[in-house]
Amino acid sequence: MDDPQPPNPLAAAFPAPPPFWQSFTPENIERISKLRASQNPTKREENGLPPRILDLPPELRFLQPPEPPEEGVYRCFGDVFNLKDPLPTLQEMSIQQLYTPPPSPSSHVDRALILKRLAKSLLLNFLELTGIMATNPEQYEEKVQDLRTLFINFHHLLNEYRPHQARESLILMMQDQLEKSRRETEGIREVKEKVEGVIEGLGSVKLAEFGNGKLGKGKVDIVAEGRDVWETLEKEFS
Amino acid sequence: MADKLTQLQDAVDQLANQFVASLYYVHKHHDLKTLGASDKIREEKKDEAAQREPDIWDKVEPVSADEFKAGQRELAQDLIMKEQQIELLISVLPGLDNSEMDQERMIRQLEDELKVAEEKRREAVKEKEEVLARLEGVIRSVKRP
Repeated sequence: MDDPQPPNPLAAAFPAPPPFWQSFTPENIERISKLRASQNPTKREENGLPPRILDLPPELRFLQPPEPPEEGVYRCFGDVFNLKDPLPTLQEMSIQQLYTPPPSPSSHVDRALILKRLAKSLLLNFLELTGIMATNPEQYEEKVQDLRTLFINFHHLLNEYRPHQARESLILMMQDQLEKSRRETEGIREVKEKVEGVIEGLGSVKLAEFGNGKLGKGKVDIVAEGRDVWETLEKEFS
Repeated sequence: MADKLTQLQDAVDQLANQFVASLYYVHKHHDLKTLGASDKIREEKKDEAAQREPDIWDKVEPVSADEFKAGQRELAQDLIMKEQQIELLISVLPGLDNSEMDQERMIRQLEDELKVAEEKRREAVKEKEEVLARLEGVIRSVKRP
């Protein structure tokens, strides 16, 4: 990258962000979305990204996400990572699978049952282990292996459950946001109605006081009332 | 606080640690017994003990029978407690009755609802600005009678 480096990047406690963050101005983002729309808005690449535009002006070039690495691995902080990182199955780790996997990934009630059984087995096996240690300590190995297998099975089941929990959290977050958005709309509506009421009130006050000839005093009242309204507005909209 | 799954995994790891700690306690504090009349409990001299490599599994420090029993009891209770904690955590895992399809449907539905709500919010903000402008107009006109 031939962009100028920030001064003395090695002395900073945290590395500076890559220089291309400066390209992400609102104008540039708008320009590239227009360019994309002019290309072919419905077409999508395999990975779900908008199609690549080849001849971009240099200041927009960084707004286009780069191609994913072809070999499927990337480096980060000196370590190699896989693009796809599936959970290895117990067979792949050559651990005995102690439960029959749920027939479909959707039945999670079974999963809780299996987990509870595993937890109980853990305790029971530990009890057996203490018994073996008391009578014939030489034979500990087999039981310790059993315990190990049980623990690994337990963790494996939990890790399989993680994507499910992630989706569940997403649902919760979306519900929260929906609630927040609706409350905000409701609040704005209420204030709007209040203000409209005040405006109407002002109109009638004005007319009435014109009629009574108390214009001078009326004006002060209205201004005072207007100030109240402004204060309320400021409170509500801030 | 960590999510439920992580809590559960931590609890299981703690259970494993408790297993080890229980064995260690029994090993370390059990009473010394003589098996025959000719046996004698070996007294380790102070300087002898200091010379040897310290090994935590190695040296037995007997405690009184009552204390030992109480210790065992406490450890056993802790084990049971941890196991019950684990079962409790299992039964409150999020979304046990939701299948993946349910979840996807719900996410889609929420997405649509969010879009509608956001649209409404924008409308409301726009209306708010209009009313604000009207109010300002009214107040200005009042100021100059």
